[in-house]
Amino acid sequence: MIKNLDNIIQNILFIAILLIIVVYLVFPFYWAVNSSLKTESQLQMSPTTIIPRNTNDNSIDFSFKNYINIFKNDQFIRGMLNSTIVAISTTILSLLSGSFSAFALGKLRFKGKKITLYTILAMTMFPQVTVLSGLYAVINTLNIDAIPSMILSYMIFTLPFTTWVMTSFFRELPKELMQSAQVDGATPFQTFYMILLPLTAPALVTTGLLAFIQAWNEYLFALTFTSIDPAARTIPVAIALFSGEVTRQIPYGEIMAAAVVVTIPIVLLVFVFQKKIVAGLTAGAIKG
Amino acid sequence: MSQITNNLFKKEQSLAYKMLIPTILILLIVAVYPLGQVVYTSFTNRVFAGVEETEFVGLDNYTSLFSLTIKELPEDKYSFEVLPRKPKRYKELTTFSFSGEKYIIGAIHPEFIKSIWNTIIFTFFAVFFETLFGFIIALVVNSKFVGRGVMRAIMSLPWAVITVVSARIWEWILFPSRIGFLNMFLSKFGIGNGQISFLTESGLQLPSLIMVDVWKTTPFMALLILAGLQLIPNELYEAARVDGAGKIKQFFSITFPLLKPSLAVALIFRTLASLRVFGLFQVLVGQQKYSMASYNYYQLIGNRAMGLASAISVIIFIIIFIFAVMYMKTLGVENE
Repeated sequence: MIKNLDNIIQNILFIAILLIIVVYLVFPFYWAVNSSLKTESQLQMSPTTIIPRNTNDNSIDFSFKNYINIFKNDQFIRGMLNSTIVAISTTILSLLSGSFSAFALGKLRFKGKKITLYTILAMTMFPQVTVLSGLYAVINTLNIDAIPSMILSYMIFTLPFTTWVMTSFFRELPKELMQSAQVDGATPFQTFYMILLPLTAPALVTTGLLAFIQAWNEYLFALTFTSIDPAARTIPVAIALFSGEVTRQIPYGEIMAAAVVVTIPIVLLVFVFQKKIVAGLTAGAIKG
Repeated sequence: MSQITNNLFKKEQSLAYKMLIPTILILLIVAVYPLGQVVYTSFTNRVFAGVEETEFVGLDNYTSLFSLTIKELPEDKYSFEVLPRKPKRYKELTTFSFSGEKYIIGAIHPEFIKSIWNTIIFTFFAVFFETLFGFIIALVVNSKFVGRGVMRAIMSLPWAVITVVSARIWEWILFPSRIGFLNMFLSKFGIGNGQISFLTESGLQLPSLIMVDVWKTTPFMALLILAGLQLIPNELYEAARVDGAGKIKQFFSITFPLLKPSLAVALIFRTLASLRVFGLFQVLVGQQKYSMASYNYYQLIGNRAMGLASAISVIIFIIIFIFAVMYMKTLGVENE
């Protein structure tokens, strides 16, 4: 009887902790959703309400006006488009270049391998702000527009990371695969793109996703390189600098609607590929 | 025979170098060359995007960043009266009392020293709470219960929110009146007057920023710790149970020691990221309080002091490099 009671108490405690965690993790996002469904006057209600309520009779009252407004907002639409272009291009470029170098580092013998590996690992921790002015000079010299500038400069964090994680995947592929291919007369390069590369497809998906998310998130370079070309602003910059059509006050309702819209695709990606992403993170961080 | 293997090795080696070319070329353009440029500029008085003549100034930028002076501050005097004004003006960094006398510490760039301090405090507390909460969440999710899959999905929600977006969501939650959630919530419990300025009151800025960062990055910590937990074989716990070890003993004799490597990596990973913090500071407290990175950005873009900003960059680089070396020592690069 007492043991039973103990169990019940334990279960209740467990559920309580679980609930607290869920509320803690979800609430700020819920608050964004809640606020995005309020009109300007509902947002100004004091004290604020947990669900959108009518200012007169307190009944529940949603409004989709903020969503309609942001989809009419040029800054926002352009931002989405720019971010998509930049993040996809960055991902493809770093996967291409990264899988080449990862094959060399993971499967081929050459002098200077260890130092190359150390350098690549060190570069995954590169503090971006420190090269900002130098990078600006490089971009001025190359005379390229804001969007290609972002794609190129994002390589500083996606490429070392991609190379590092892909290297650990390549290393785990059995040596026999290469040897038997070579016996069959394949050159090492043929072995790479015909046999090994298809086998690393899951790893490509994982690292690609992580590179995409990093690029989608980037703020510092985007803020700097788009300062003279507002049309090239990516989503983080657009949202950071978001101002309404009438700049009377900060349009929090629209900002929250924008926040919800840009978060949902990433949330879906993360939900679907969560196991893969964790595998990628741990391959990059733990296995080394 | 050895001739053949030697030839094979040479072929392999030349292929390896060829395949490394794109990566090395890109990294030279976006990292190595700019870094060299920054180191060089740090010894000059160059102005960002300016046409002014650039002069070589030696270590001036570095010495001015670290210049400190301590002066006695008599009751009847203002700080600017006692601090040196030539060759460069010193501003108040902080004051302290020692054996009844009041002293003032002045610096040419007090904001820089403050920014290092802010970043270190931010990093320490943010990483501490992320690890603590991450640990708790990972332990909970690791136990078997209905809806575990949903829980794992929920866990990654904050992680999927763009940093700048999370900053703006929190800016709204922390709004300094009861139209903001936190003020409404706290005033219900009689805490504060419903007008707490979380982001403008100096003493509340860092705690608020830490709170935002902890929310955003705890899931990352939890996911890494969870991955570590799942590597621990179940048989160990069964054996411990047979030996009569309780849950708490199991935690300290099995879970914790076996989790140490994953934990160490997650810790250093997060520490390095926190030391680089930029967006949160820039979006939420702008020019009221700086992190190292946001101060560097302000000096470069806002103040156009490219020479000084470059010196700041070099210092940040060195600080982070030290942590990175620690990281690599913990991990170790595998030899073949």
